[in-house]
Amino acid sequence: MTGKGRIGGLSPWRAVAVVLACGALACGGGQTRLNLFSTDWTDDGGASIDRVWQRIRATTIPPAADVVVGVAENDHKMIGVSLATGARWSYEHALDARPVVTGSVVVASGGGEVFALDAASGRLVWRRPTGGLALLGAGDDGTVTVAAFRRAGDTGSVLLAVTHDGQMVRQIESEKLLGAPAVVAGLAFVPWAGQYVSVIDLANGDETARVTLRLATSRAWTEGGTLWFGGVGYVRFDDRIHDASRGRAATVSVPPRELPGMPKLIPAGTVPLAAEANAEDKTREYAKPSATDSGAALQDGHWYGTYFRIAMGFDSENSKLAWVHLHDTDFIGGAAAAGGLMLCDDRGRVTEFDAGTGAVLGELTLGEPLNGCVVNVDGQRASGTLSEVKPLAGQLAEAVRADDPQLVIVQKLLLRELATAADESATKALVDAASDPRTSPDLLVEVRTALANRRNGASFMEAALVRHYDFLKDVLRTPPVGPIAQALGAMKEKAAAPLLASHLLDPADTEDDVKRTAAALAVLAGPSEVSALREFFGMYRATAEDDDMAAAVVDIGQALATTGDKAARAQIEAAATDPTTVGYARERLAALLRAQPSPPAEAPKKAK
Amino acid sequence: MRVSFGAAAVVGATLALLTPSAASGEQPKARAAGAADAAAPLAIPLPADAIKRLKSGDLAQIKSALDDVRVSGRAGSAAVPAIVDLLKQGLPLPLSQAAIETLGETSTEAGSEVLGWYAHQRDLGLRRAAVEALGKTRGAIAVRALRAALSDPDETVRGQSATALGEMKAKEAVGDLFVALDHKVEEAAASIGQLCEPTDCERLAGKLGNVPFDVMTGGLDQVLLRGVKEVDDDTKIKIVGRVRELGTSEANQFLKDVQIKWPAKSSPKVKQAIDQAVIATSGSPGSSGSAGSP
Repeated sequence: MTGKGRIGGLSPWRAVAVVLACGALACGGGQTRLNLFSTDWTDDGGASIDRVWQRIRATTIPPAADVVVGVAENDHKMIGVSLATGARWSYEHALDARPVVTGSVVVASGGGEVFALDAASGRLVWRRPTGGLALLGAGDDGTVTVAAFRRAGDTGSVLLAVTHDGQMVRQIESEKLLGAPAVVAGLAFVPWAGQYVSVIDLANGDETARVTLRLATSRAWTEGGTLWFGGVGYVRFDDRIHDASRGRAATVSVPPRELPGMPKLIPAGTVPLAAEANAEDKTREYAKPSATDSGAALQDGHWYGTYFRIAMGFDSENSKLAWVHLHDTDFIGGAAAAGGLMLCDDRGRVTEFDAGTGAVLGELTLGEPLNGCVVNVDGQRASGTLSEVKPLAGQLAEAVRADDPQLVIVQKLLLRELATAADESATKALVDAASDPRTSPDLLVEVRTALANRRNGASFMEAALVRHYDFLKDVLRTPPVGPIAQALGAMKEKAAAPLLASHLLDPADTEDDVKRTAAALAVLAGPSEVSALREFFGMYRATAEDDDMAAAVVDIGQALATTGDKAARAQIEAAATDPTTVGYARERLAALLRAQPSPPAEAPKKAK
Repeated sequence: MRVSFGAAAVVGATLALLTPSAASGEQPKARAAGAADAAAPLAIPLPADAIKRLKSGDLAQIKSALDDVRVSGRAGSAAVPAIVDLLKQGLPLPLSQAAIETLGETSTEAGSEVLGWYAHQRDLGLRRAAVEALGKTRGAIAVRALRAALSDPDETVRGQSATALGEMKAKEAVGDLFVALDHKVEEAAASIGQLCEPTDCERLAGKLGNVPFDVMTGGLDQVLLRGVKEVDDDTKIKIVGRVRELGTSEANQFLKDVQIKWPAKSSPKVKQAIDQAVIATSGSPGSSGSAGSP
């Protein structure tokens, strides 16, 4: 025995899969009785679960409450706000686990008891003592609530079935680690061992059916009038469920996609969630499964992710990023809805996003800062007036430029999205990010690399090159000259040559910038740049103090050689043999001249 | 150009021996333009072979020629084109430094263009030397280069530029100098004081209280001691009044200093205002005339 609590005056919860009580519901018989949660069960080929399907297929599953429940005041208060009406309620009670919204009730535990509130009004529906066990999950069919608890020390689980009038109808203890259950028509669907869902008839406590799933599963719930099982994806309870053990159930999942923090789509149902949100709640994936003619799909063709104060929308076909939203504070909970996403933040606001664009559709507030938050959306559709939304490149730029060390990992990912965007505005965004002093230093190297690899948006790059360090004008950061030079050189953007030449002579630019500028000018420079190039060559061919500058001297020598300017050619020839020219440059200049011999002198014209 | 021997390091060592000012890091002091002409020592003529040595391509000969040109000062101006050519073709660092300083010593405007190049050299020593030299070679090119150098990343270069612009009477730079002063280029205050028209002088005085007093005194001192043809008495009296209003011991000390330096034949009206201001501020806390002063 591990639990010390007493429920309804009954004996303490005990171990080993026993049915302790038959309450108001009759203990019924019939069909094959399975040994509750036994591990010596042999797969019945879907026969028992098919019988359950046949039994409840005509049952109408009512929509669950559309409500946001916030945890506040150091886990001693719940605040509920109806997503449909905006009606607000609060209920003060100690909480030792995250509340669960199921059916029309909010189930929570704390202070040695479990209790259910009416989700619409916050009115207490029932309460039972628990002996201090924390809530794992709960299901409700409008008549009876089944709550699952984890026993201390991971020694097993307890299931408790309570009617809405407070009658305890079933109490089941098991050594198995059970998941979060659902209830439909007096049947409790209880996931366990990661692959099974046992169906317990609450009328008699028997395990009346079991199904083996090929998708890791620890939760069962109802949504959109359908019963779902889930862990890493969604399994629909329908006429294909009998084929589940052969991997032929109707399933849908979020396509694999690299996201920082290894976010979970569905939190494990076998571990109580702390009332207070943690990092796992801030880095989450969200999706809404929907029943289709062919089985199951993700609602609106999108799924979503959060990373602290960034929210992202993805196309469910290819996981391509559809939108990014930079919020002013961390998201701590949320849910996908038809038409969009609803996210709750730690300041107590719920923001509604459009599925396809990320446009903000609306916002409501719970009125105070929150420690934790549960958003439950079933029938409610995300709708409202679409706010103005930037193009994706602009959204990415805004997110990438946020000066927040916590976001650097996701910013790197978003930066890669920006780098591959074909739109010219992505180039502008990269120029801006590379020029913005608020851009995280940890990100800057990758921003500059991405910019160097761009092959469009030359006008934005040239506009940036107009800017130089200028102390008196408070321009204290040079533009990203090197990456821009590299990109412009690759694009053969000759119009940029005068701007690049001006940066060649700017002592505020870095040696690396100068080196890459010189390399670009070797391709782009024309006669109008000869003067600046000769100035650079003269000043540095004997004073270059590192390889970057020496390489720049060589590239400028190359540029001068190709302009056909005779005086410049003579200057290079002299430098190539002058021992005061830095060694690195001298050898390469000599090689360059050998490769590009001067054109033969023109024959003197005969006098007429 | 072809240099026949010697690595840059060897030349550097030679330079250190031959040019005490460069070796010690000291810069030759700028001469006040007028005073330089009046009290000019006997010019040392440029040796006849100096230009030939500058064109020899031999680092040691170039170095010795630069020394000779430097000693000759303005009398060495004939060598300027050759030095300019050397700098345009490029020299090792120590010789570049010597050539830049030498150009400055010739005070020849023809050196300004190439000094303008080196005013944005990446090597900070060369850049500072070039800005210093531009203050001596003068001319429109020098003014343009020095105004640009007010925005240099290096604080010393900015200060040198501000000082040089004042010394070379570059009135067109007053606007830039005000911006520089607002950006804590303290040397700009003295230069504004040297260059300002009455309205700009009053604008400078208006910064009392916003700019540190010891910075301001460098500029106001210049304004008050300028001739009446440049700054009228009324403007000076207004400035004295502004300083007097501060009523601090520092103000009192500054006014006393001006009182001492006041030329005998200068405006008695302004002198009277200074005298009265000294008396009025002598009771300021911390001043020598205050009750608590020793």
